[in-house]
Amino acid sequence: MLLAVLLFRLWALQVVSGDRYLLEAQENQVRTARVDGARGTVVDVHGKPIIENTPGTVVQLWPADVPADQLDAVIRRLGALLDVPEGRLKRQIERVANDPLTPIVVKQFVKAPKPEYILENPTEFPGVTIESSEIRDYPARRLAAHTVGYVGEISAEELEDRDPAEYGLGDRIGKTGIERSYDRYLRGAPGELEVRFNALGHLVSRRFQSVDAQRGNRLRLTIDSELQAAAEQALRDGIVQARELDDAAWAANGGAVVAIDPRNGAVRALASYPDFDPSIWSGTIDTTKIARLGDPVGNMPGLNRAIAGLYPPGSVFKPVTALAALSEVNATGSAPILRTDELIQCKTEIEVADRTFRNWQPRDEALTLPYALAESCDTYFYDLGLRFYNLPEDRGSPLQFWARRMGFDEATGFDIGPESEGLLPTPEWRRQHYKTAIDRLWKPGNSVTLAIGQDDLLVTPLQMTRFYALLANGGKLVEPHIVAQVEQTGSDIDDPIVLRRFAPAPPRTVGLDPEHIRAVQQGLYDATHQEYGTSSSTFGRYPVPIAGKTGTAEKYVRLPKGYLEADHVVEGLFDQAWWCGYGPAGVEEKAELAVCVLVENGGLGGEAAAPIALEVFEAHFGIELPDEQVGVGNIAGQTD
Amino acid sequence: MATRPAIVQLRERDVATSPLATAAHYIFQLDLVLLAVVGGLVGYGLWIVNSVTADDIPGDPSFFMTRQSFAAAFGAVALVTLASLNPDLLRRARVPVYVVTAALLVVVLLTAPIRDSRRWLDLGFFNFQPSEFAKLGLALVVASLVASAGTGGLGWRRTALVLAVSAPLGLLVFVEPDFGTSLALAVVVAAGLFFAGARWRILVSIALLTAGVALAALWLLPSNGVAVLKPYQEDRLLGFLDPSSDPSGSTYNVNQSITAVGAGGLTGRGTEGASQTTGFYLPEHATDFVFSSLAEQRGFFGAGLLLLLYGLLIWRGARIIGMAPNLFQMVLAGCIVSVFLFQIVVNVGMTMGIAPVVGIPLPFVSYGGSSMLASLAMVGVLLAIHARGRLTRQRGPRIG
Repeated sequence: MLLAVLLFRLWALQVVSGDRYLLEAQENQVRTARVDGARGTVVDVHGKPIIENTPGTVVQLWPADVPADQLDAVIRRLGALLDVPEGRLKRQIERVANDPLTPIVVKQFVKAPKPEYILENPTEFPGVTIESSEIRDYPARRLAAHTVGYVGEISAEELEDRDPAEYGLGDRIGKTGIERSYDRYLRGAPGELEVRFNALGHLVSRRFQSVDAQRGNRLRLTIDSELQAAAEQALRDGIVQARELDDAAWAANGGAVVAIDPRNGAVRALASYPDFDPSIWSGTIDTTKIARLGDPVGNMPGLNRAIAGLYPPGSVFKPVTALAALSEVNATGSAPILRTDELIQCKTEIEVADRTFRNWQPRDEALTLPYALAESCDTYFYDLGLRFYNLPEDRGSPLQFWARRMGFDEATGFDIGPESEGLLPTPEWRRQHYKTAIDRLWKPGNSVTLAIGQDDLLVTPLQMTRFYALLANGGKLVEPHIVAQVEQTGSDIDDPIVLRRFAPAPPRTVGLDPEHIRAVQQGLYDATHQEYGTSSSTFGRYPVPIAGKTGTAEKYVRLPKGYLEADHVVEGLFDQAWWCGYGPAGVEEKAELAVCVLVENGGLGGEAAAPIALEVFEAHFGIELPDEQVGVGNIAGQTD
Repeated sequence: MATRPAIVQLRERDVATSPLATAAHYIFQLDLVLLAVVGGLVGYGLWIVNSVTADDIPGDPSFFMTRQSFAAAFGAVALVTLASLNPDLLRRARVPVYVVTAALLVVVLLTAPIRDSRRWLDLGFFNFQPSEFAKLGLALVVASLVASAGTGGLGWRRTALVLAVSAPLGLLVFVEPDFGTSLALAVVVAAGLFFAGARWRILVSIALLTAGVALAALWLLPSNGVAVLKPYQEDRLLGFLDPSSDPSGSTYNVNQSITAVGAGGLTGRGTEGASQTTGFYLPEHATDFVFSSLAEQRGFFGAGLLLLLYGLLIWRGARIIGMAPNLFQMVLAGCIVSVFLFQIVVNVGMTMGIAPVVGIPLPFVSYGGSSMLASLAMVGVLLAIHARGRLTRQRGPRIG
């Protein structure tokens, strides 16, 4: 009778509900893991490759497959064979201790005959597999190194911020630049790897892909790689030349070039110097090379100066002051504090609140706004600064207000980061930032120096370029962007299947009077064409009309020992050389390119920065000015 | 007085016929059906052990089967020996049997624990588990004690004596700890009292007493801070009431076992496909949970066949109880059959979630030499009782 009960129960379990238990038993052992698809490629606006993939041999270790008593020995053998630190392997193993499905990458890009040795000696390397994988390859080598970014294993913090359905431990994700911002398009759809495991966590079957991973999409940038290459080359050469031309510019060893389309904000070139080879992030990573990216002695090559470098703008800021003054009404509200036809005396120096503020050259003449911009008269703008200072207190900080409207003190919304916002000093900021009572007070001198782009003002080259794009297009603020569209991988490069087009945000009108802008445009055109213009020697004879402004801004700099072979720490004021402008000038709708060049510690803007900008225009328009026609250092262009 | 000549006659006949003929005659008095059933069980058991352990020792798929075969061979020797002995001779050896059994159970407690238990004596070639043999030993002792109570049934005093003699053995096994085997010993005692015809009042009192002790062990004493059962024992017993309460903890075994049994379906998943077994999800799949593995690999047909064989075993055993030539042998057979039935029901029931998880081997199938040896020895005793019963019937009743 008792045995009949057992038989009945056996029948109930096996025959009546057998299917359910069968499913349960099957699920007991199958585990699925995600497999990343090959990343998508990145091409420039014309379809030229910027990031591609290249096949590599990867040595992986599945810790769960290694008998516990052999783990140490396996680590030792791998370390010796592949020349990887054992400590790193142990840390990697610890990180995936709870996850038998995640292998650790022992080494990428392993060259023959080492993989063969491992394959021929499986008993010495239990749990070690050789996989072929694709690693990032940069056919254009260093081109746009800061912009492309790199790919690495997801960190714990990154994992926390992301959707667990999309990202998992051990995933490789974009860490910076385009790789980071557009990771979701580049990484593709992960596949599923099915593995059968026993209760002890040991593999009992081969892994097989139950869902194929899908390759990521192709990204097309707005960058023109030829222009990018020209900008990088010009920057590199220009920095060396700046050092040679001017002893005061001995410390020039960094800079940035930004070129955007003023009509829509599409970035055509974005260069930062010093640069690096992005392939240091693919394959086996050499940590000393990575550390060098942030080393101040080498001037931090990892810093993308175009979007994150902060510099006082100096005279390239003067158009901002001019437009703000033209837009702001006086104390009584009867008239603007500056009229376009107003004449202001340009002097050698002026006294403000017992302090002397000098012009960059001896001068005594009444100037119109365009003229003052063209020859970059400082005292003219000191005067405007004072006018802002003298406005009633209830107006707040109108110069800063207008500057903010023109895109300063905020991120530009550029699609790859990390961007710096800059610093626009206000009385409020001064009160909070400084310690002593005298420093905390906003004085007339602060307004005066802010008017010529000094004081505590800091901007990024990208912010400045966006502002010059605004001058070029007649007063609209564009949103800089670098990715044009997402394309189907493998589709025709000249006639691609577009999966998603990133329509640029429509240019934003900021409330400036077109007449005011025309006055500024005139000043910038005169600056490059009139004899008294600060960069007319560079652009005066160039067939395409270019308008632009030089800037030479003082910045307090601390250079470490070893910087450009300096044998001691150097501290002091160094001139940051700027040139910003656009072309073709004249018809607002036709301006194609707004360019800013910055040379760190490069000395005079007209000498160090303007020639670099010319080369960028030459590359863009395909028209070169014979070298002998480019005059360096004519009388007016010598300084600021 | 009338019986005396019969014995003389028997002896005369023994002398008269050749030893070979006597042996042949004796063999035909054995329960050959039981022998065949047990032979089938041992063979089937070896095949089961072989197929459930094929993946356990990489490179040596028949490791367990080989060792189990040796145990079966030794067991066969024990079976033949005991089958040819007159069980009444065993009755005379009750004191040495008791002393040796108790001594072994004491010695085993002095050894180093294996997996937190002291159950095995390492004999070099074989891990000897005295508690398995204690079942037969205790059955012998209990049967002889109750059989010598004389006519008029079993009284309070004799019952108390049986309990007093049995308790030390049970306690020694319990503290090893081996809860399952100590329960089996309790079954031996209960069966002994039952088949000896103890009065109902006594049986009911003992049942109540047992219930009281169980209640105390599981509830009263623990709630007052005195732990009687090991935590895992308690968890298993309570987990039986609600198997899904703690899937990764104490009821993990049961859940995996039920899954394995259920997954087997009608025809089983075969040796390769039985992932619960080959993937080690099923714990102890060659010993306590061997039935689950069998059910997974061979399905309802394979597991049903085993239950059928067990049914035949119990049927033949029950028949032998009725055929026993005297009270001692009847009680002895009753104890043995009860222990078999208890082990089968609890072990198989446990694998399907209808009995609590207690570590009891499945006779003839679970991997374990001592269990195999002891089971075959017990069958040997049953066979001997059958033969004596048959011989006695042929020559008339013998009152001894």
